[in-house]
Amino acid sequence: MIPEPVPSPPTDNWQKRPSWRERFGHVPWFRRYEFLGGLFLLLLLLAFFLPPFGRPESALAWMEIVVFFLVVLFWAGIILTDIEKPNWLKAIAAVLIVLVFGWLFYQYSGARWNKLVHAFFNWDVLNSTGSYGSTTSAWIELLAGLWLTLKLAFFSMIFGTLFGLILAVLRNLHDPVLNFFLTIWVDFFRAIPIIVLMMLIYYAFPYLGITLSGVVAGVLTLSLNSSAYISEIFRAGIESIHHGQVEASRALGLTTMQTMRLVILPQAIRVVMPPLASNYVAMVKDTAICSVIAILELLKTAITLQSWLANPTPLVAATALYLVILIPMARFSSVLENRMKARGISRAFASKKG
Amino acid sequence: MGEDRALMIDVIDLHKYFKDHHVLKGLNQKVYKGEVVAIIGPSGGGKSTFIRCLNRLEEPSSGKILIEGTDITATRTDINRVRMEIGMVFQSFNLFPHLTALQNIKLAPIHVRRMSEKDAEERGRQLLKKVGLQEKASAYPDQLSGGQQQRVAIARALAMQPNMIFFDEPTSALDPEMIREVLDVMDNLAKEGMTMLVISHEIGFIREAATRILVLADGCIIEEGTPNEVLKHPQHPRTQDFLSKIL
Repeated sequence: MIPEPVPSPPTDNWQKRPSWRERFGHVPWFRRYEFLGGLFLLLLLLAFFLPPFGRPESALAWMEIVVFFLVVLFWAGIILTDIEKPNWLKAIAAVLIVLVFGWLFYQYSGARWNKLVHAFFNWDVLNSTGSYGSTTSAWIELLAGLWLTLKLAFFSMIFGTLFGLILAVLRNLHDPVLNFFLTIWVDFFRAIPIIVLMMLIYYAFPYLGITLSGVVAGVLTLSLNSSAYISEIFRAGIESIHHGQVEASRALGLTTMQTMRLVILPQAIRVVMPPLASNYVAMVKDTAICSVIAILELLKTAITLQSWLANPTPLVAATALYLVILIPMARFSSVLENRMKARGISRAFASKKG
Repeated sequence: MGEDRALMIDVIDLHKYFKDHHVLKGLNQKVYKGEVVAIIGPSGGGKSTFIRCLNRLEEPSSGKILIEGTDITATRTDINRVRMEIGMVFQSFNLFPHLTALQNIKLAPIHVRRMSEKDAEERGRQLLKKVGLQEKASAYPDQLSGGQQQRVAIARALAMQPNMIFFDEPTSALDPEMIREVLDVMDNLAKEGMTMLVISHEIGFIREAATRILVLADGCIIEEGTPNEVLKHPQHPRTQDFLSKIL
């Protein structure tokens, strides 16, 4: 008699890791909820005996703090390394570590919190009248600085992108002589520190009979610098388009420029968007360099207010304003990047920063 | 071949070098209106290079190429005007991935022939119908199968109303079950009297549609004749060897 074929084990959950019970036949004692619950009670007990606020003096108090912290780490560590624990419990454990560490530091580091707050987070200072001869409050001046920063960034983006695009298209003509000079040009503006270039343009150009206002000099510098990077980004984007595309359009009778405009660039733009966006983030940050040529953009405003009010809070406020603008931008560029990855388009380009 | 028919392509002593590599060694060839010339031969024999020299996707190193009487190697010739008259279909389709099938077809008539948007649209739809893809007008190339893409590519070439079409291995990148649909379209074109140069090893298609076969090996035309002559009674030993391998 032919034996029945043995049914093969189900294979649909082959990716799942075996549970503790499947692996050992039981859950290890330290991963049991009874143990973790008991440990938590011990934690509460230890917390009750923590020394009062201020730098502790006795060795016993120090030991108490250290033991408390280690037990918290141990407790959270067990939960976080256990794939069978629910996610909400892990989230609580993670938050608890951060809170406990912060709390202990706040309580026992002996830091002079009042002075720190008075110096760097003295928001009342921002309500007082701004710098010399000003009638508005420091807040308003900071916002005016932010507005100027955004304007600088906007125009630098426009001119930098246009100029970079032109450089990239010229490079794509593959003319050896032209390429030689373009390479020198691009390398020069990539190599020279922006701050040096800006000071040269603002302070040295007047001797050549070219006097530029601060804002124009700033935008010019940032555009020249970013166009060098952006041209490289565009060039990589253009080169990433398969050569068959050029052949197909040329075979149809399109001219070189029509091919570029109608076929290559529309495809290259999609590839180029993520590195371009991250370059724009860097450009907004680079506007801070304009403070060296006395443009009252956000950083310069903050520095001026700092010395006028004899308090560094404006700097912290300026930082906050930069973050409010830049974090969404950075997020946006990551979203673009992920979308590109999802579409499977390769991006083998080095962007400027971050 | 009758002299009464218009001379479409006249190649005189065409040489092509890639650096030191002599790819085409003095080809001479005349193609008349309505001919379907199949070009076969071992890979590396210069088939693609030959066909690409004829619309100057490759620059000929020396020799003359006359397309409908125009010397395309002369510097004053506007090559884009000549290319308008030559359709080209590639092995890898080379459709524009950012445009729909219909937009792919419309692009060149609008920007090169200066056709109006409306006429181009109408012509595009006609051509899509002709290649059997009227319902795929708004599909992007990556939503089409290989065979469908190649048929759109043929429609795109036809949209310029060319006087001749070159096919550079149009079916070699296709899965076997899609070859037929592309060959059918090409068959119909041949029946309509289109002048065609076809690099292909689809012997069935060649036997039926081609009026002449060129065998290219090592940069020379080693044999030419009707499909019957060449396929049944090859003279040159290299042709015999080649055919014995692919048949």
